[in-house]
Amino acid sequence: MFFSEEVTCRHGGETLTACYQCGTCASSCPVARLDSRFNPREVLNLALLGEKDEILSGDAIWLCTSCFNCQERCPQNVEIAELIFALRNIAIEAGNSPNIYADFGGALIADGRIVAISKFVEKKREEFGLPPLKPVGVEDLNKILEATGFTKPEKTEASK
Amino acid sequence: MSVSKMEQPKVGVFLSDCGKQLSEILDFDALTTFVKGVSNVALIARGSEFWRGKGLQTIVDAVKSGKINRVVVAENITKISDVNIAQAVENAGLNSYLVEVLDIKDHCAWPHRNAPKEATEKAKAMLLSAIERAKLLEPIEKLEFPALKSALVIGGGIGGMQTAVDLTDLGFEVKLIEKQPFLGGLAARAGRFFPTDDCAICIQPPSSDVKTITHTSRKCVYRSGFSEIPNLNILTNSSVVAVEGVPGNYKVTVEKKPRYVDPDKCVACDKCVSVCPVEAPDEYNSNMTNRKAIYINVPAVHPQVYVIDEDACKFNDCAKCVSVCPTNAIDLDQKPEQVTFNVGSIIVATGFKEFDASVIKEYHYDEYPDVITNLELARMIDGFGPTGGEIVRPSDGKPAKKIVFVQCAGSRDRRYNPYCSGICCMISLKNASLIKEANPDAEVSICYIDIRTTGREHEYYYERARDMGIKFIKGRPTEIYADEDKGKLIVDVEDALLKRFLDLEADLVVLATSMVPPEGTSELAKMLDIDLEADGFFKEYNAKLRPTETKQKGIFLCGGATFPKDAPTASLHAHSAALKTAKFLNSGKIVKDLRTAFINDEYCGDCEFCPVMCPFGAITLEPTTENHFVARVNDLLCEGCGVCVGTCPLNAIELKNSKQNQIAAQIDALLSVNGTSKPLVLAICCQECGHTAVDSSGMAKMEYPANVRVIKVPCAGIVRVNQILDAFKAGAQGVMIVGCKTDGCHYEIGSENAEKKADSAKVLLKEYGIEPERLEMFKMVYIEGAQFAEAVQMMTDRVAKLGTLNLMGDS
Amino acid sequence: MKSYAIFLGCTIPARQPNYELSARKTLEKLGVELVDLDNFTCCCPAPIQSINLESSQAVAAYNICLAEEAGLDIVALCNGCFESLAMANAALKKDKKLKAHINEVLAKVGKEFKGTIEVKNFLQVLMDDIGLEKIKEKVTKPLSSLKVAPFYGCHSLRPSKLLQLDDPERPQIFENLLEALGAEPLEYRNKLKCCGGLLKGISDDTALELAREKLANTSKAGADCISTLCPFCFVALDIGQIQVKGKFQEIYDLPILHYSELLALALGVAPEELALRSHKIKADKVLEKIA
Repeated sequence: MFFSEEVTCRHGGETLTACYQCGTCASSCPVARLDSRFNPREVLNLALLGEKDEILSGDAIWLCTSCFNCQERCPQNVEIAELIFALRNIAIEAGNSPNIYADFGGALIADGRIVAISKFVEKKREEFGLPPLKPVGVEDLNKILEATGFTKPEKTEASK
Repeated sequence: MSVSKMEQPKVGVFLSDCGKQLSEILDFDALTTFVKGVSNVALIARGSEFWRGKGLQTIVDAVKSGKINRVVVAENITKISDVNIAQAVENAGLNSYLVEVLDIKDHCAWPHRNAPKEATEKAKAMLLSAIERAKLLEPIEKLEFPALKSALVIGGGIGGMQTAVDLTDLGFEVKLIEKQPFLGGLAARAGRFFPTDDCAICIQPPSSDVKTITHTSRKCVYRSGFSEIPNLNILTNSSVVAVEGVPGNYKVTVEKKPRYVDPDKCVACDKCVSVCPVEAPDEYNSNMTNRKAIYINVPAVHPQVYVIDEDACKFNDCAKCVSVCPTNAIDLDQKPEQVTFNVGSIIVATGFKEFDASVIKEYHYDEYPDVITNLELARMIDGFGPTGGEIVRPSDGKPAKKIVFVQCAGSRDRRYNPYCSGICCMISLKNASLIKEANPDAEVSICYIDIRTTGREHEYYYERARDMGIKFIKGRPTEIYADEDKGKLIVDVEDALLKRFLDLEADLVVLATSMVPPEGTSELAKMLDIDLEADGFFKEYNAKLRPTETKQKGIFLCGGATFPKDAPTASLHAHSAALKTAKFLNSGKIVKDLRTAFINDEYCGDCEFCPVMCPFGAITLEPTTENHFVARVNDLLCEGCGVCVGTCPLNAIELKNSKQNQIAAQIDALLSVNGTSKPLVLAICCQECGHTAVDSSGMAKMEYPANVRVIKVPCAGIVRVNQILDAFKAGAQGVMIVGCKTDGCHYEIGSENAEKKADSAKVLLKEYGIEPERLEMFKMVYIEGAQFAEAVQMMTDRVAKLGTLNLMGDS
Repeated sequence: MKSYAIFLGCTIPARQPNYELSARKTLEKLGVELVDLDNFTCCCPAPIQSINLESSQAVAAYNICLAEEAGLDIVALCNGCFESLAMANAALKKDKKLKAHINEVLAKVGKEFKGTIEVKNFLQVLMDDIGLEKIKEKVTKPLSSLKVAPFYGCHSLRPSKLLQLDDPERPQIFENLLEALGAEPLEYRNKLKCCGGLLKGISDDTALELAREKLANTSKAGADCISTLCPFCFVALDIGQIQVKGKFQEIYDLPILHYSELLALALGVAPEELALRSHKIKADKVLEKIA
């Protein structure tokens, strides 16, 4: 299967082939101007041309800030921000990701939250007069994660 | 004509052996004997050819003698020969629809030449089928009604004017109606046309009836003597408000807005303008300047008569113009007038307009005066325009030194207009080049996604623009914003080739906006009862096969009204529309054959499927007295495809000349003789692509098994699910439906419709215990004869493997 | 009295009690009831969507089901939560195939997405259920002459097709609500541009540069403070200001206040009750100006 097909078959990747490389996304991107490692137009072009390795093992896709400005301005209604997520999904399945994602994934599975609530925080709530926090549906959450093939990212030697 | 009144059918059967070529394969004696044994056959003749020469005379004599009243001809190249035969038969006094021509050469002898016995048996079945069909044929009449030799052209732009001139040259009376007070349309405002940069408003002169001082080949409208053309009646400041009638005789009601100035008295001296105290925004100059309440757009217009803007004028509270006019040409009491007239044909030439770029909020067209469109720029470039030909920043009037063009503003954009408007690259190149030519120091850049320069001389135009130092940036800007400190606009764009982010400074940003249908388009479409495409332009029935045509036989389209186009293409289109109109009206009468669908009122059941499915909008619903409605077929619009027949759930529609009893008789006959050891496969082929694919496979002498029996139908969409089941009952072991490709269906949706029915039929077959694989839909075109041969082989093998079909109950 | 299920998400309870406090107090004063439901989980925003989009959508749908079962619309304070939940809500309502697919997953935990509730942003609740006039009436301490630079953040507005909060290019809802408090909303360059918050930990340099741009632009426009809707934006501009000072030696002294905090102050809530000390850039200047 061509890599572009692999992408368009996935959640979030459906609109890849509508891209005609106009570059509106590139000039809409707050990151691209500041960091030459990331350019959304370029990432999409690499995906269209099948440069799988460069995308999955490179830094680029992790530098998107998910601001959705590109998706908002795209004249072809390409869901660029979603595409970046889809590419990240593929990369994580292949075992590549910045270490911080291992932390997010781990926290989600363990606590049902991506930021842990410490006892200290719970006590402070009482002081502020805030109601105690309700229990989190961790069990249900984990069933859903399992049913959707959620893979917890692993920490790797090279942290990006 | 009711059946009882008709005589008994007496069928004449004419077998051509093509210079004895066919008789080397088919046993003509056996065929002759076989045919003799069929009831109602009154005459059998055999010869080399019957579609021309002596052979044709034989048929004609037989008809004239009264010996036969049905004609069956087994002939060569049937799609050409049947026209000849039908015409000759008609001239001999027999209705041409009582003729059936079949092809035992390309459909039998050639493909099965290595199995002559089987071929002969198949030929028997084919002949039987043709004879049984002939016996059930009924005469079909033609509808004739008079056509007025006159036309209405709606729209006085270059398309409308050109087509009007052509028609007057051809001797037609033409009324040209234009809603603006002056002719010229978009062209007049555009100034110059690419790729020659000549005046946009230059058109072909009228006929030699009008003598102009110099007979050069092109003239501006105002000096072309356009208004002096006899048989041309020009109505400006007028709109169509109602249209009734039929092709060949339309009754049109027009509302003429008062001009308040008498064209016969006005001497175009401009005194009225100089005393008028009222100013109003000048739409001709895109509101970049003001004009007076009494005005003429630019000096060179047609007609050279002023007009009063009734929303701005103070009328009798002022009347300064009246007192100053040297010829008393101004009449402030003029009222709108409605006129009605009849014409034979209507041509829509309403053109297109620029898309309103205000909706592209990130470009701030509505907020920044220095963001303009190409048309507004063209007005500035025009010496008669709001700035006298100077390119300035509208915000402060200072000269614009840095100009940035932004292409595809609203085009190729799924949020607004997904199509490419086709002409904007050339327009921007033109304007950019004109600016550079007048002002070599100007810094001009064009931001593009793709540069499209596809016509003759267009590539050179692009090259010249680069030679002039115009810069090209591959990238679509995300935003245009104002830098107050610098007092300039900034175009935020990525140059994809440099991979660099540019903040281009600009005095002026020109948006190459999309081209869209003008206001009033959907109202006009409703008035004329013609269709629009999804993008809102008038629907031209098929750019290759039926250019300029609409759903209505007497209404044609030309120019930008169907889609944005450049001047040479619009000119071509205008000439075509005139030709089509002339062909339509030339004989002074409209002739339409009535090989159309008809509704059996008793069975029609209020379901509304057929009007929706008809590709030509020929079916309407008429209320009856009992709170129901029945479907009605408009014979003028019906093209005889039969999709409605195939759609009606209550079997209430029949197509004359392809009635269900005729089809059933043909199928039974085809399946009555096998002669091979293989299972019989019925192939229902549409006459457009499917049947011609069979032709071409035979003409190319391809071979395929002789167990296939081909029946021709007008469109695959006519097929009903019960007919498929009946075919199996009649002895078919397999059924093929062969139609056009989905997007190429000659009746728009018939092929797709047939495919859906095949899918439904497969479900039913399963219920009945018949393997659904025995039924298959194929789509192919004429040149894919090999595919037909392969399909037959494939179906034969498949069905043979499935074994003989044993149907329960009666067969 | 209109009731909403309040969706707190992860960041606000963990790090921004000030946001929660001001939101609860103001909605109470304005007559909106907030219900805390059991079993809400993380909304699965961008960091989780990066791991698995499908899981994220399913979990978001799960959370919506909890509110559907309680018969309540959701008000989400954090932009990230708003986006994740509102996008899932809109997408599943629109696309039948997707809904069927997600419901297959939800069936495993005994839930079914029906599409019966709305997910709203804090501002939307104020506009829809209270209205500008009522807010104006209830203001006891108008924030007169306070120049506020409104910062929508990315995920309140985009993707606009699904979120439908306001015009994504020329939004007015935040400005209108600030004016209702007597404050003066400011226009400034690139006001809709990302704060860079989500890049923290991945590319701190870029994140800081983006925060700095916002601080510079709002400062240039004459802002007394920046008002936010999202906890990430808050942190990016609040703690970020200190980091900017460290890296670039630039001092902006721009307090960052969530809209709900400004609202609380305008409605007369005492500053001591709002945990304003948790702000790294102290809001004292602002409090003085509006006293």
